[in-house]
Amino acid sequence: MGGSGVQEGGGRMTVSVMVVDDHPMWREGVARDLQERGFEVVATAGDAPSAVRIAKAVRPNVVLMDLNLGELSGVDATAMITSELPDTRVLVLSASGEHDDVLQAVKAGASGYLVKSASSEELVEAVSRTAAGDAVFTAGLAGLVLGEYRRMAAAPDGSEEKPQLTDRETEVLRLVAKGLTARQIANRLVISHRTVENHVQSTLRKLQLHNRVELARYAIEHGLDAEPEAEK
Amino acid sequence: MPKEPAERVTKVIDDPATPLWRGTIALRIVTFLFAAANVIANQSGYVRPWLAWTTLGVMALWSVFTSRAYSTTWGRRWPLVLVDLALTCGLMSLSPLIMSDHQLLVLHVPLITTIWACVPAVALGALGGAAAGFGGGLTVGLFTYLSHRSPSLDLLRDVVLLSGAGMVVGMASATARRSAVLLAQALRAEAATAERERLARSIHDSVLQVLARVRKRGLEVGGEAAELARMAGEQEVALRNLVAAAPTDSTVDGDIDLRPGLQMLATPRIQVSTPATQVMFEAPAAGELTSLVREALSNVDKHCGEDARAWVLLEDLGEEIVLSVRDDGPGIPEGRIASAAAEGRMGIEKSIKGRVESLGGTLELQTGPGEGTEWEVRVFRKGAAG
Repeated sequence: MGGSGVQEGGGRMTVSVMVVDDHPMWREGVARDLQERGFEVVATAGDAPSAVRIAKAVRPNVVLMDLNLGELSGVDATAMITSELPDTRVLVLSASGEHDDVLQAVKAGASGYLVKSASSEELVEAVSRTAAGDAVFTAGLAGLVLGEYRRMAAAPDGSEEKPQLTDRETEVLRLVAKGLTARQIANRLVISHRTVENHVQSTLRKLQLHNRVELARYAIEHGLDAEPEAEK
Repeated sequence: MPKEPAERVTKVIDDPATPLWRGTIALRIVTFLFAAANVIANQSGYVRPWLAWTTLGVMALWSVFTSRAYSTTWGRRWPLVLVDLALTCGLMSLSPLIMSDHQLLVLHVPLITTIWACVPAVALGALGGAAAGFGGGLTVGLFTYLSHRSPSLDLLRDVVLLSGAGMVVGMASATARRSAVLLAQALRAEAATAERERLARSIHDSVLQVLARVRKRGLEVGGEAAELARMAGEQEVALRNLVAAAPTDSTVDGDIDLRPGLQMLATPRIQVSTPATQVMFEAPAAGELTSLVREALSNVDKHCGEDARAWVLLEDLGEEIVLSVRDDGPGIPEGRIASAAAEGRMGIEKSIKGRVESLGGTLELQTGPGEGTEWEVRVFRKGAAG
């Protein structure tokens, strides 16, 4: 991707987006919103299996993923898409804001989360930033991720390489969870805006990496080390 | 493979007295061996040894047959168990024909069926409950008495033992059946609740989708639609809170999850962030913390105007809980809290500080003109402090 999806306030490369949602009303509404703002909506899908299939075929820059998709959830689809297509980023767009779902999707590889009632401006900005490789955090997601790191640190099982946050990362995440924007955080901590973004991204990457290692270990321990995407 | 536990559950529910029947079968086999040993030991004194061996043969066949019958639900029925009782008593009544009077009256050699005869009483108890077991024991006891033809204290003891044992087994089987019915009811209720929850989730999700869409489009259209959008937005947040804040059980020692109470405080302008897992805290203190946050938020409403937003963050550090409340309002000018306290009308000093202190926690306030206000409350868990 070259990370050049969007330059701040500058020229924009066309970002290809795929919209996954089981409500046609939403699918079309969001697709229209995005098209009006200059994004290229290359595909839509109404359920997880077809989302995975179509994503593999069209390889969009960004997948907007609803989590509540029926039998195979958006979490599963997120895991499959991000493991198959390393250049495609998944942004979760969920109505229910249910905590565990969102955390699972982010651990499975999603690069961010937005509530469905977010304004069109917020949505457009989030998609641009996702395409540029940034993590899109709401305050709520920051609270979940902080909690997850602390849960893992406190878990009694003696798994050696638990991911840990640096002091700076914890500080940044706490400020995100308290509603500060990246710019406000940069001002308060006297660091650059870019550094704040990097810290936030790094908290997600460590969590996702750990999740993949855990899944692989689980698969090997339980003799399931076949292609995970072979099952439907 | 995942079917197996379910099947086991239904089988147990089909006949909860199954363990008692297995016990009955084991008892039958053991007592038969005893009866065989008895015949071998005493056959030299028998008047009709051939009848003794024939009786033992019938007992053997009957033991095999009933063992098979009682291990299926098919055989656990009144006709078979009553035939069992009749046959046992009948075989027992042959004893005076087999044994000599000397054996019977002087040596007190056991009857031909000996303790094998107690099995129908146990089977009756397992099948029909306490009364049936008692009656079965009494019947067997009565035939023992008739076969001996002379009353004695030993006989009386046998009757009491037999009817008592039958009754106890009967009570056990009745209890097992009652529990099985209750368990089945509980399982059905649980399944129904799970199904209801599943339906509720999908309905909630659809409603949330519509509300979110109305809010979004309404704001874009503007005018009267913007008012509708605002109302839809409020309902959306309220419903989302309800879905997220599923009620949780309190633990045995009275701890409750802090999250649901806090999540209910969220509005379109107030974001509440919590971990995905439970944050347990002592119940009365948990309530205090929640009302403390509510106080801080109402303070935001009062002093920061309609447009101010607020964020609540709950963190669980293991030994302590951290609760932060931040707003993006104009901040509290220096000295304002103190002067308000002096006037005796502002809630902050008293409510928030006082509550935190009574919980043994610490309060930090970070504010300044144009910087918003941030409260950070830290309280230790009881177990961690000691």
